[in-house]
Amino acid sequence: MAEVNMEELLNCALCPNICRCECPVLQVSGREAVAPSGKARLAAMLQHKQLNWDEPVFEAISNCLSCRGCTIYCPFTELSLCDELLNTRLAAKASGIRLPVIDPCISNLKNYGSPYGQKGGPSAAGKKGAEVLYFAGCTSQANHPSSIDAARKLLNKAGVSFQMIDEDCCGYPAEVWGDQELARQLAAENRRKIVDSGASILVTNCPECWLTFTDRYPVWEQDLPLEVIDGPTYFLRLLREGQLKPKKSEFEKISYHDPCIWARAAKKTDEPREILSLIPGINVQEPLSYGEQTRCCGGGSMFQLSFPETAEAIAERRLAEFPEDAVIVTACPFCREGLLQEGRRVLELVEILEQSC
Amino acid sequence: MTDQIRAVLQESRVEQVEIDRYAEEVSALIGTEKVSNNHIDILSTCRDYWPVSSIWMLEGAVPALPQLVVWPQTTEEVSQILALAHERRIPVIPYGEGSGALGGVVPLKGGIMIDMKRMNRIRELDHENLLVTVECGLNGALYEEQLNRSGYTGGHFPQSLRCSTVGGWLACRAAGQFSTRYGKIEDMVVAAEAVLADGTVFRERSVPRTATGPRVDHLFIGSEGVLGVITTATLRIWPLPEKRHLASYTFEKLEDGLEAIRMFMRAGARPAVVRLYDAQETGNHFPELGDKRCALILLIEGAAAIVNGEKDVIEECVSARNAEDTGPEHVKHWLETRFNISAASRLLQKGAVLDTIEVTTNWHNAYSTYSAMQEALKDVEGTMLASGHWSHVYPEGAALYITVVGFPGDDKIVYYKNIWQSAMTACLAEGAAISHHHGIGLHRGQWMAEEHGKGLDVLGRIKNALDPHGIMNPGKLGLGEVRKWQK
Ligand SMILES: Cc1cc2nc3c(=O)[nH]c(=O)nc-3n(C[C@H](O)[C@H](O)[C@H](O)COP(=O)(O)OP(=O)(O)OC[C@H]3O[C@@H](n4cnc5c(N)ncnc54)[C@H](O)[C@@H]3O)c2cc1C
Ligand code: SF4
Ligand code: SF4
Repeated sequence: MAEVNMEELLNCALCPNICRCECPVLQVSGREAVAPSGKARLAAMLQHKQLNWDEPVFEAISNCLSCRGCTIYCPFTELSLCDELLNTRLAAKASGIRLPVIDPCISNLKNYGSPYGQKGGPSAAGKKGAEVLYFAGCTSQANHPSSIDAARKLLNKAGVSFQMIDEDCCGYPAEVWGDQELARQLAAENRRKIVDSGASILVTNCPECWLTFTDRYPVWEQDLPLEVIDGPTYFLRLLREGQLKPKKSEFEKISYHDPCIWARAAKKTDEPREILSLIPGINVQEPLSYGEQTRCCGGGSMFQLSFPETAEAIAERRLAEFPEDAVIVTACPFCREGLLQEGRRVLELVEILEQSC
Repeated sequence: MTDQIRAVLQESRVEQVEIDRYAEEVSALIGTEKVSNNHIDILSTCRDYWPVSSIWMLEGAVPALPQLVVWPQTTEEVSQILALAHERRIPVIPYGEGSGALGGVVPLKGGIMIDMKRMNRIRELDHENLLVTVECGLNGALYEEQLNRSGYTGGHFPQSLRCSTVGGWLACRAAGQFSTRYGKIEDMVVAAEAVLADGTVFRERSVPRTATGPRVDHLFIGSEGVLGVITTATLRIWPLPEKRHLASYTFEKLEDGLEAIRMFMRAGARPAVVRLYDAQETGNHFPELGDKRCALILLIEGAAAIVNGEKDVIEECVSARNAEDTGPEHVKHWLETRFNISAASRLLQKGAVLDTIEVTTNWHNAYSTYSAMQEALKDVEGTMLASGHWSHVYPEGAALYITVVGFPGDDKIVYYKNIWQSAMTACLAEGAAISHHHGIGLHRGQWMAEEHGKGLDVLGRIKNALDPHGIMNPGKLGLGEVRKWQK
């Protein structure tokens, strides 16, 4: 288990909450307990044994989307508050404290390999041994399998030899909920299947899967012995190499929502825009905040399951930043789910691209 | 749970049964989701950014704890919360974003923290009259962002812009970095709506100027929560500036810089940003300029023709004091780093005690106040640094901002009290005012009688008339006892 970096945590606990304007959970709740520095103060008190674990403390420390909005203005370049909060939460397991609301999700993970229950989306497909392994992710499978279909069609149109496996959840939700052991088990199972597939490139459309494979698997000693590529970069590559040739799109006015992980962890803000610029007929209008300054949709850290009301309020706040008549396009199943509120049309990048190819 | 936590300055608390009864009744009025007695919420609203709270935090202590937190969403709810508290004689403390620097939100007698952050909407943007009506819990950066979206600026940029509320600005008579052009918050407020301790709501109209008796809404500007809760404010706004001119200069002596500023203010120039640093701060902020001369940075903005005229006036005044032109780059650097506040966290962890002390002087005693306060601070054992700059200027004088850092060794609190006593004594002896924009809070109340003389008594009578049971933010603004701190 990763140690909490006490010096960085205290830098944050002693900060006047400079980034509070960019913390979505604080902005929708108004609660000091979930302000960035507020959470750091609680975490520091836990570390110093001035506070004991109980449900309200765990709930407050869990109120972090890992959206990294706080990093936009944070003067401490070494600090990753969401990671420090995660590391703090992982220590709670020993005391048996957890969010009761996620108990069924944890059982689902154990029983079905997905927090949503029985997997509905496509399972193993394509040719075993094919170079490219497309990893769909449990959230797309459960909520928006149309994006997986679109990705498959695109890969076929581009003539890519690809396969899909009977994947398990990448492990990220389990860790977010404080169960690193379960996360590691899921990772080990996935790793076994991925190695067994014989693929040399793993493409994932879900930013959380991407971050988990690239950042957490090494921590859990489950390094993947193949290249992991994010969906936007991979499909852009196919476009640039002429394997995909888009024609005029039926969509005109589009506004791209940068998912936090692609924008701030992977720094992938140009790739999706380049894809959109290569589709004839599309006019992209930016929302109020975009690129690395994007604002979370409310779906980070599994909030749609853990804190559904907060997630919805954050999504509403984010939606107000988009031109009313634009189709919102994103590249993350959580963002899509969150932003899909009444009166708004929300699609994923792969679907927009597939429709024009 | 919070029982285990040492609350150093807690003067008293309300009986728990009273709080429970209040919680139940107020929940029925405003909704349970807006009321919390959760120990985490209580712990998280118990302090602001008063350095003493940070020192105690490292020791596992807090200044004092509230007993209930409420989050009203409307003026009506604020009124209900206060009326019931008034009836039950329960203290109420308004809470913005806790960036106050003097313990203004510390709940000395426990009671109810009224957290204003869910009142965060812009109610009206009046394009013709250049006014905005805003709820007081709105965060400063989000306020400015919304104005920018419509082509305006609020002109108010405290260094705490991203971590303070509009209500906090009004309550503390705040000043932004661009104050020389746009004014302090009191110059921007056209009208305000407030709720008195007994729940009475009143609002003045946003007409330009009146001769209809004293403006009672303006009484709430600087009231730091002791008179009632400010719920909305109508503020001036400006179209985004057409032109911006950046300039920096250095002077051999601080007095030359002060005189140059006095002269261009006298001539009518109003650059948005005017910052004159002593040699030590010049070296700290702009190492490439060295630490022998004193840097002046200026930002002029507005309509192009006016900016050009101001530039000419300023250039004449600074050259008359033999300024060296050091170009616009230093101002760009300042603009990029002006909200960066990281040194305090690091220094506190290393055992330092630090604070900033801002006072106002007229021109005739500007320099002498600076040297007297600096000397007084350096004389306190343990002080490592006492440096200063002027950053808000007026035709009649300027605000001096002193930064003090010390490594006192054993008793940090004694050292903290000593530096303040020395600084305030020097300030008052020079005839300067004890605060320009941070306000009084809990800590600076000790010098309010000396600052105001009989005036403090008048303020006390107003307070008693508006809040007869003394429920509003007890012990602040130098009104009421703070025995445990002053001991
Ligand atoms: C890093 C840093 C930099 C700063 N820079 C500046 C600066 O450049 N200029 C400046 O002026 N100040 C500055 N400050 C001080 C502070 O930010 C201001 O005093 C600010 O106005 C406080 O706003 P807040 O919302 O955080 O108020 P809080 O700290 O929450 O409250 C301050 C006081 O106002 C009262 N109050 C809050 N809201 C209301 C309301 N709606 N009605 C009635 N009373 C209310 C509280 O009870 C308390 O007494 C700085 C502080 C920090 C930490
Ligand atoms: S994340 Fe950075 S900016 Fe935000 S409160 Fe912590 S230290 Fe301050
Ligand atoms: S990562 Fe996002 S939710 Fe978490 S503290 Fe930072 S801004 Fe808030």
